This record gives sequence, C-alpha cells and structure tokens, in this order.
Amino acid sequence: MPEWKKAGNLVASTVANLKEHIDKDMPHVLIDARDLDAAEKEHIKGAASIPLSEIVPAKDRLPGDKKAPIIIYSDSAKTSEDAFKTVRKWGYPNVAYLTGGIEAWKNAGNPVMSGELKQNIVYASKPRPGEVGVEDFKNIAETLPKDKFILDVRDEDEAADGMFKGAKNIPTQEIKAKLADIPKDKEIIAHCSTGVRAEIAYHALKEAGYKARFLNAKIKIDKDGKYEITKE
Amino acid sequence: MSKKRLLITAALLIAAGLFSINSTVSAQAKPQTAPPCLQCHKPDEKVLRGALGNVSMKAETIQVQTGAAVWLVKFDDNTKLTGAEKLNKIPREKEIAISFTEKDGGLYAASVSVKPPAKIRDEQFINAGELAKLVAAGPEQGNFTLVDSRPAPKFNEGFIPGAINIYDAQFDKNIAKLPKEKDELLIFYCAGPT
Repeated sequence: MPEWKKAGNLVASTVANLKEHIDKDMPHVLIDARDLDAAEKEHIKGAASIPLSEIVPAKDRLPGDKKAPIIIYSDSAKTSEDAFKTVRKWGYPNVAYLTGGIEAWKNAGNPVMSGELKQNIVYASKPRPGEVGVEDFKNIAETLPKDKFILDVRDEDEAADGMFKGAKNIPTQEIKAKLADIPKDKEIIAHCSTGVRAEIAYHALKEAGYKARFLNAKIKIDKDGKYEITKE
Repeated sequence: MSKKRLLITAALLIAAGLFSINSTVSAQAKPQTAPPCLQCHKPDEKVLRGALGNVSMKAETIQVQTGAAVWLVKFDDNTKLTGAEKLNKIPREKEIAISFTEKDGGLYAASVSVKPPAKIRDEQFINAGELAKLVAAGPEQGNFTLVDSRPAPKFNEGFIPGAINIYDAQFDKNIAKLPKEKDELLIFYCAGPT
C-alpha cells in the first residue's frame, strides 16, 4: 500500500469508513465534487461543495495540514477519480474517493441533507479515542507502574523477536478467548507494531469492561527490549 | 442404543484416545511428518516435522505433533537449535523439524529447527507500476483478484480500487472469498514491512 500511494495511484474508501468518521466525530474533510445544484439538493453531512469544474481555485480552501484525511464523493466514478487526482497532486497523501459515491451511501441506509453546504473547511487533527500519548507510553513501559499492564497484541512470532519487560503477548484475534489472562484491576496499555491491531484490541477490551488505552504509533522492539517509536 | 451402552462406548473411546497419546515413543507406523509439511518436504526417517507441543526445560523433553500422532523427544545442551534463542521461546503450534537419533530406548533430538519465514521468489512479486495497469483494466478484464491483507478498518480507510479485504489473521476462515478458479492470478498487498 505505501508504494501504491507514493506513486499517486487511485485510492478508494468505503461507506463504512465515512460513516465512522461522521458518527464518531473523527476529523476529516469531506468534498462533494458534483455541481452545486445537485449538492444543494442532497449531500452528506459535513460536506463542502467543490465542483470538479471549479476545483483548481479551491486549492486554498483545503487544510494546511497535508496529512488530513480527505474523502471525495460524487455521482460518477470518473468525476470522483478526476477530483482525487487533482487533490492528490496538491500533495495530500491521505485523500481517497468514496466507492460507489453518494448512491452507495444512500443504499446503505445513510441519511442525506439538503440546503446550503458549509463554506469553510476546518480541519484539526486530534488523537483517536483511547490513544495513549507517546511520552506517556514510554514512561509506563520504562517504570511499569503497578496499576498498569502492557499487552503486546502482535502475533506470537513477532513477539518472539523482542518484547517489553513485564509485557504479556496475546494476539488481537485471541483476546476475547483469553480474557482470563488479563487482570481486571489494572489499566491495560495495548500496543502492536503500527497501532492498528492495538486499536482493535482496545475496543475489544473496552467492550469486555476493561479500562484500557492503546499506542497509536509505529514501534519496533529488539531482543534486549530496546525500542523505537515513530508517530506519524 | 441404550444409555448404558452409549456410556460404555464413550468410555472405551476415551480409553483408546488416552492410550494413543501415551504411546508416544513406540510404534513405527506413527506418521513422522505432519500432512501440511509434506507440501514442501519429503518424509525423512531421521526427521520429525510438525507443530510444537509442550517443552519441558526441567525434564528436557519436547513434544511435536505430526498430524494425528504426538512424539516425545529428549534434548540436552548439545541439541543444536536454529531459528530461536531457546526452546521455550518458540511459540506453541509453531512448525518445527527435529533431527533425531535413538538413545537409551527413546528419541534424542540432535537438532531442532524452527520453520523460517516463507521465501518469495523475485518473479512472484509485482510492482506498483505493473499493478496499476492491471487495476486500470479492472479485476474482470484483467482476470485477477486483488486481496488487501490488512485489518478491515485500514482497508475501509483507503484501498486499491477493485481489491477485496481478507485480513491476514482471519485468512484461513475466509478462503471461500478467493476465486473458485484456482489458476486465476491472485495478488496480495498489505502495509509493507511493519
């Protein structure tokens, strides 16, 4: 995927992803690339109107933060793809178009709105729910407070290459079956190698009634327990 | 069948089961190679191949499951180990090979090796440029299936157009999502080395 994205190729995203961003109020930029008339008739909540025909002068309306997740939709694959290519060329690596466009959104039973679309695009990144700060994490991993429990949710063969001292390894997909091995009276700090599986683990733990947080960053741990964290 | 007979049958079955597990050291007919290992390895009368069972550092014994059978093998400090630091650091169920000799009426492990990560030949890789051409044609025209092996949330966020999502950790359960025509080109991608 990183190679694919770096080359500027098309990237699609799903209705489920957009719904999650809207429902959980996760920061994102949503662009309706159809003509203004069509957009005012019905559009997805939070969308800004940037018709493909007027996309070039709209460059300055996009956020200064190039890492911002941008989702483009329209009613034709061609329109969405062309808008994608333009925005991608402006240097936004996390742009994606909505597969199936507004039709797919509606077909999944999601609501649309009518009326004016918002004028200003406001974007501010914020930590995902349950995220533990990198400095906090380092502090916990190094001092291992009695009320914290580090859970390594990578697969066993990854953990075999090096783990934190005092950490326990239970792969994400086995957590539900192994809750008995996870102490209820401590806060669980989950990590994997990129943050993705740790986040899934965080949700599984929260659902099971645990107090938990997760590390949303890349991390490498070697045999001596030495580690390196990179936050994107 | 009466309840009583059922119980007796069950008891006999359990006894038979226990017996087959306990008789680890004897019997030549026991398989030495687990069926999945046979895809790449030929059976070898001096080698056991299968999934790692219990390792006892105290008793210096290691168990390996070769399909239906379990073998118990002694080891000591002279046992050569490759692919892991210590025997008790190998994850359970991991594929291992044990080269053994017979010693004091039992089996002794001369060496234990952990299955290395699968090697992929250069010609089995596709680069982003070649893939882009296929993707532009589409899975049907191009006669291929593109599989995104990342967890669903990452897939949803952004995937290569036309890809289907089968998270690597749930791959075995989702084999039915692959095309029925086994000669069709399958292309997998993930987030790169993590």
